[in-house]
Amino acid sequence: MAERRRHRILMVSDFFYPNFGGVENHIYYLSQCLLKLGHKVVVMTHAYGNRSGVRYMTGGLKVYYVPWKPFLMQNTLPTFYGTLPIIRNILIRENISLVHGHQAFSTLCHEALMHARTMGYKVVFTDHSLYGFADVGSIHMNKVLQFTLADVSQAICVSHTSKENTVLRSGLPPAKVFVIPNAVDTAMFKPAPERPSVNEIVIVVISRLVYRKGADLLVEVIPEVCRIFPNVRFIVGGDGPKRVRLEEMREKHSLQDRVEMLGAVPHARVRSVLISGHIFLNSSLTEAFCIAILEAASCGLLTVSTRVLPDDMVVLAEPDPSDMVQAIKKAISILPEINAQAMHNRMKKLYNWHDVAKRTEIVYDRALKCANQSLLERLSRYLSCGAWAGKLFCVVMIIDFLFWRLLQLWQPAEDIEAVPDIVLSHGEDERNVAELKVSSEDHGLR
Amino acid sequence: MAECCISNKRYTYIHDNKWGSEAADMHHIVVRKSRTKGFLVYLSALLVLANAFHLFLVKDGSIAITFWTFGLNVVLVKLLLQKPVEKESVIVMPAFGVQLETHYASGKIIRRFVPIDRILKPVLLECVTPVTCYWSLSFIVRGEAKLMLVFKELRPPVKMLVPIWKALCAATGSEGSLDTLTDDGPTPGT
Repeated sequence: MAERRRHRILMVSDFFYPNFGGVENHIYYLSQCLLKLGHKVVVMTHAYGNRSGVRYMTGGLKVYYVPWKPFLMQNTLPTFYGTLPIIRNILIRENISLVHGHQAFSTLCHEALMHARTMGYKVVFTDHSLYGFADVGSIHMNKVLQFTLADVSQAICVSHTSKENTVLRSGLPPAKVFVIPNAVDTAMFKPAPERPSVNEIVIVVISRLVYRKGADLLVEVIPEVCRIFPNVRFIVGGDGPKRVRLEEMREKHSLQDRVEMLGAVPHARVRSVLISGHIFLNSSLTEAFCIAILEAASCGLLTVSTRVLPDDMVVLAEPDPSDMVQAIKKAISILPEINAQAMHNRMKKLYNWHDVAKRTEIVYDRALKCANQSLLERLSRYLSCGAWAGKLFCVVMIIDFLFWRLLQLWQPAEDIEAVPDIVLSHGEDERNVAELKVSSEDHGLR
Repeated sequence: MAECCISNKRYTYIHDNKWGSEAADMHHIVVRKSRTKGFLVYLSALLVLANAFHLFLVKDGSIAITFWTFGLNVVLVKLLLQKPVEKESVIVMPAFGVQLETHYASGKIIRRFVPIDRILKPVLLECVTPVTCYWSLSFIVRGEAKLMLVFKELRPPVKMLVPIWKALCAATGSEGSLDTLTDDGPTPGT
């Protein structure tokens, strides 16, 4: 077996804690598992309000909150070349070997990948979402993605559906795309020690109440199910612009005692909400990978979902109210046969962050084996992106290259000091005490 | 009378210990003069002035343009070559406190004194700006929400800041090692 290399990875995305969501969770858990495998991981994101500068998280995970203001939906203002100095600075001072960008919708990610490629670093991109092809926004987004992925070393998608979508949108050769499904923290999502009684069936919905998550479908499905099954109760957790519609639905059908609205549920409380129910309902119109379903299955709930994730622990339905009602009917009928603990044990084996980290490590090894390419070789890849777009991309990359050279003259790499590695050791009183492991080459002072 | 010196392209660090560490321990960061920069600035100013004279004498331009060019040159030379800060010093007196001095090229000296009991801890922090990231040495001061920068004008490299930080830690009685990291999130289950 080949010797494992220690990688020094920079994770870049606009989406990270304290913002909450699937991408943020993915980056955090993946980073923690990679740290446990012995690699060095640094995260770069934009500043959130007052939270700006360097922060350290569990396990010595260093996060750079760069003070670029977000301008639209948590995304940094795209300036093309504005982030080159700070990215170069971080890459040199942390002695990074590989840059891993997350989420196609993140402008910081695209800029970081572009600059990293200009500077000769190997680059991996993970796509977390599905996108359309038809509307103006998607067309532009796909062109940007095509630009970024024209020169990426490897790409990762979270499901085969997502791989298909990404390959079609970006024109990337499928051989370069790996599929590594997301995982769930099964230690946190355990079933209730005693299952709630089956006399009254509780259906739990936890999601952001937005159009993409199918909140409009819920407005139609809930009254219908309450009408057909008098012993069914709903618990709806989450907040968003569509909450008003759900409240109106409750008023209109007088379902205040049968539909409980919890509002935004902090992630730490999600489990307690899930274990109070029997069935989990997911009405998303589109998901590349639905972690919510995994969390519910890990807690031993039977899931009814729109066709987002094929799984035998799930009853599937079309994103259509009548079809969903039929699916709920089927779920209620198979409910007595479900064994919560058995479901949880299966989830534990199938979806595991350590497994995801090991598979990602293989992708990193493959990425680092890719040959170094000169500017001219890389430009030829960009030219194939389109008649006009190809030439435009080439011009953008040439200017980026010139800026980089200028920056090397203005601030030579020798002037940027390397940061000493942090070595965490566990103290006797369970508090983590960090020791500065200062290598004698960097700092000859004692 | 121990003296030790580290230097790079921009700064020189001098550790002056002539009275012994118990009385007063002096650390200086001196700005180095850059000859090439001066040469380039004067050369470009000369070229611009020569061009203005050429316009006036040969091509019959107005004298006002020449005067304006001269004035502009003076302003630019003053801006680019004036080195306001010559040196910044930290004088550590374990019994009393720490004196922070900024010496300007014009001869002006600004001094700030911090009593020893007001300093909770000297810290080395990484500061992130939109274009760069650098190390800075600051004090956590009793009763103040903000940190107090030790070097207000200059940004010396961390290899010069580390001995100063160690000396300050010794004087204020804080431990000279990185502080505990607080747990900021859950660890995934095994």
